[in-house]
Amino acid sequence: MNRSSSGINIVPILIVAVVCIGGGLLISTLTPTLFPVQASSQAQQIDTLFQLMLAIGGGLFLLVQGLIYYAAFRFRVKDENDRSDGPPIHGNNTLEIVWTAIPAVVVVILVIYSYSVWVSIETPQQNETTVEVVGRRFAWTFTYTAEDIIDPQTNAPVRFNDPNLYTYVNEALRLQMTATDVNHAFWVPQMRIKQDLLVGRITEMRFTPILSTDTNGDGIYEMAEAFPLRCAELCGDGHGAMGLVSHVYVFGSREEYDNWFAQRVNLVLNPPEDPVARGAQILPTYPCSGCHVLTSLGWTGQSGPNLNGIGDRASRRVAGDSAEEYIVHSIRHPLRYLVPGYAGIMPQFIEDDPSNANYMSDADLIAITAYLCTQTASGDSACDISTIEEAAAEEVTTSGMASQ
Amino acid sequence: MASVVSLPVGELRKSDGKPIMLRDVLGWSVDHKVIGVQYALIALFFFIIGGSLAMLIRWELLTPALDLMANGAAYNTLFSIHGTVMIFLWVIPMSAAFGNYVVPLQLGAKDMAFPWLNAFAFWLIPPAGVLMLMGWFVGPAEAGWTSYPPLSTMFSPDGQTLWAISIHLLGLSSILGAINFIVTIANMRPEGMGWFQMPLFCWAILATSIIIVMATPFLAGGLTLLILDRVAGTAFFNPAEGGDVLLWQNVFWFYSHPAVYIMVLPAFGILSDVLSVHARKPIFGYRMIALSSIAIAVVGFTVWAHHMFTALAPQFRIPFMITSMIIAVPTGIKVFSWLGTIWGGKIRWTSAMLFGLGFLSMFVIGGISGVMLGSVPFDLHVHDTYFVVSHLHFVLYGGSVFGLYAGIYHWYPKVTGRMLDERMGKWHFALTYIGFFFTFFPMHMAGLAGMPRRIAVYAPEFQTWNVVISIASFVLGVSTFVLLYNMVWALRNGKVAGPNPWRALTLEWATSSPPPATNFVGDPVPFKDPYGYGTKEAAAYVEAVEARYGTPDDVAQSSKPAPAETAGD
Ligand code: HEC
Ligand SMILES: [Cu+2]
Repeated sequence: MNRSSSGINIVPILIVAVVCIGGGLLISTLTPTLFPVQASSQAQQIDTLFQLMLAIGGGLFLLVQGLIYYAAFRFRVKDENDRSDGPPIHGNNTLEIVWTAIPAVVVVILVIYSYSVWVSIETPQQNETTVEVVGRRFAWTFTYTAEDIIDPQTNAPVRFNDPNLYTYVNEALRLQMTATDVNHAFWVPQMRIKQDLLVGRITEMRFTPILSTDTNGDGIYEMAEAFPLRCAELCGDGHGAMGLVSHVYVFGSREEYDNWFAQRVNLVLNPPEDPVARGAQILPTYPCSGCHVLTSLGWTGQSGPNLNGIGDRASRRVAGDSAEEYIVHSIRHPLRYLVPGYAGIMPQFIEDDPSNANYMSDADLIAITAYLCTQTASGDSACDISTIEEAAAEEVTTSGMASQ
Repeated sequence: MASVVSLPVGELRKSDGKPIMLRDVLGWSVDHKVIGVQYALIALFFFIIGGSLAMLIRWELLTPALDLMANGAAYNTLFSIHGTVMIFLWVIPMSAAFGNYVVPLQLGAKDMAFPWLNAFAFWLIPPAGVLMLMGWFVGPAEAGWTSYPPLSTMFSPDGQTLWAISIHLLGLSSILGAINFIVTIANMRPEGMGWFQMPLFCWAILATSIIIVMATPFLAGGLTLLILDRVAGTAFFNPAEGGDVLLWQNVFWFYSHPAVYIMVLPAFGILSDVLSVHARKPIFGYRMIALSSIAIAVVGFTVWAHHMFTALAPQFRIPFMITSMIIAVPTGIKVFSWLGTIWGGKIRWTSAMLFGLGFLSMFVIGGISGVMLGSVPFDLHVHDTYFVVSHLHFVLYGGSVFGLYAGIYHWYPKVTGRMLDERMGKWHFALTYIGFFFTFFPMHMAGLAGMPRRIAVYAPEFQTWNVVISIASFVLGVSTFVLLYNMVWALRNGKVAGPNPWRALTLEWATSSPPPATNFVGDPVPFKDPYGYGTKEAAAYVEAVEARYGTPDDVAQSSKPAPAETAGD
């Protein structure tokens, strides 16, 4: 802002330029250390875009702050009796054009660059795998389909559910999402990508993982290493908890993924005979872990009652209900009896509509109840398998009755 | 064109303004000055409420688990009511307080165009505030200030209905107020004051009022549908019965994005006045600042969907990114013009000026993060995270609230005839500036690292950031009370202000402090340039005002035997 065009002093301008540009670059190189790891190819592009914006924004930040502080100290008048004014300058056309043009140019660059990143992260890839996602208060369900394996019972491709997302490095994923009660949002910070799940609409998002979650390389995919799935749209009471319950497991290789997938398909086609063993295997495929604690399966949810020792308690909850009857009720009609101190937020698991995200077959219900019955202090089951079957057969749900 | 006050110089040295007393503000009054003070008092009351809620939020977030609040829903009510109160019952009414008190004075008018309507608009606020707080008796709204359905229609308790009715009333209040401002500013400028001789605060209130009149009816429409869905069994937002969940989001943001400018433009106006007066230098690029307010108001209507990038159909995302980024240009013009204004001035470190400079310095951060958020791919990562919480507070606290603070220090002497204590003012500034920065800057980091907003239960790895944020926020909370104490203390003990303690050129200073019931004795003649500092004529004008109404010392002398009674008594 040197007014005499002939006498512009070039040195301070140079210093300011070096400090702002250098500082901007420094900020842009240091900030990414705050980020979670880059786990998708989208993350790489988005981070590069962010770094460009940081370099520009950081430089601008230093420039403006520097000018404010400089002016505040340099032009300060302390003398209370000083009645003089500053020079009557009303503007400067050149300057005003410059500081209109520079932001305009920056904006154009950012728009073009952002657009190109957007196109490249949004464009459908070849050989995409589609996984269906349903969000509900306060759990996630992922549905996988084995296109080429026919389930003899349903005569359709085998489908199975899981509360977690499994994928492998370089798999082009397409998520097809919806929500059943209120909106939610799917966000994996390591993937840098987010999409809302909307009630009554189907939305989609795509990403390609590039990093295995087996970070210590022991070949075991532990929850502590997996990427947490955050819910990023306020969905009520358990919104925070909903961001802690599901994870993304990225296998290091296609083979590992295929093994896992084959096991899961096998579970559908050849369920174990013993209901308790079957219960232990299928329970993790239902979204209970987000709300309940059950140490034997590693559940840590907080918005529902602790299920440790439920086998001992179940028969004492409702007068006239045996343990098995009570547990079956709790799952088929959770609102009929509310455990004191808890809200009626547990979803109803229904038997009459296999296409519903909350579908649970009678066979699964029996196995789950059998397993929960063994959650006793002594380790002995509190129930008898034949009475469980009776209780399950008696309990009927009609879909469309979302709450009762 | 006359360049000095029109009235004979030399007589009437004593302030004849009647101070505003507590009984004035508690009752019905159509005097714009009383109404201005009424707005300010109720806004400050709700500022304390909203601030206390924020303190509870930060207390809860000291640990990753739920500990202070009984459950997640109880926590959700905290930030829902915090956001709503701060926006609709603090920033907007406080801006209206300045608008009401200052605009007629700056125009040399005796009152607003429609004094009765003005009072009516104000008196809609107390019942609305009561309704909002009454939510706690029936279970308050817990769907966030944005209250997206179906959460807000099917899963939020009855307080949500009260919430909607309350905002309905507040919206009506601001529409009526805005109409009044537009008519007043368009018609009641004194002779010699064309559009471009108007103080920039009046420009800002004009731009704000235009936005309010155009946008707030959409909010009212949306709220009506929401209330019907909740109480009358309609299904506008319920997909199961043919409704649509995005309808609300679109209508809501069509109002609420412009509402950002409703909240920040008045502060821009305050800033222009404060920077010029306390740096003793003309506004740099007056026309550009005035017109960029209008540009922001217009473009601001085309960007709403950038709040819904992650919900919006993909093909609409890029157009809204472009419009959102364009807004950076007029905003940038303003920032640089303000820098040009203080550059080379004779800067007084008054508390008003410090908050003005603090505004510039913090608002810029919000502006930069705003452009980043406008970029769709980056927004996919940080949308609905603490990065956004940080951004909006840099704009609405670092911008609007700092601006309102500057306005309080600047105009309190006019309202009460007393100066706020400068030492306390500087403490207030230092605590606010530091507390604010360390509360909100680290939120960027928490958001980038992966912390969603609106959660009481979070992953333990975010705790360090949250502890830093909470501690700084407690400092910020305390800093507010320095101001409040100062405002009460100065009523009786502040230095006598005199008519024009800042030796400013705009018309509100060309009358006694507080001004008489009719604001001016006779018709005041404005100085040809509201910011024409640095000329002989300007100095002569200021001297003429002092000769007419007395210098601070004169006024202090003459009022010594019977100290002036003051506002809020
Ligand atoms: C959205 C959270 C949520 C999900 C998901 C959820 N529950 Fe619950 N559950 C609750 C709540 C809250 C209660 C207590 C209120 C009630 O009785 O309905 C409860 C109660 C129970 C009870 C009774 C516990 C007792 O102590 O009496 C059982 C058994 C149970 N759930 C099993 C399950 C199973 C099995 C699943 C998965 C198929 C599941 N829940 C999924 C929230 C949930
Ligand atoms: Cu959710």
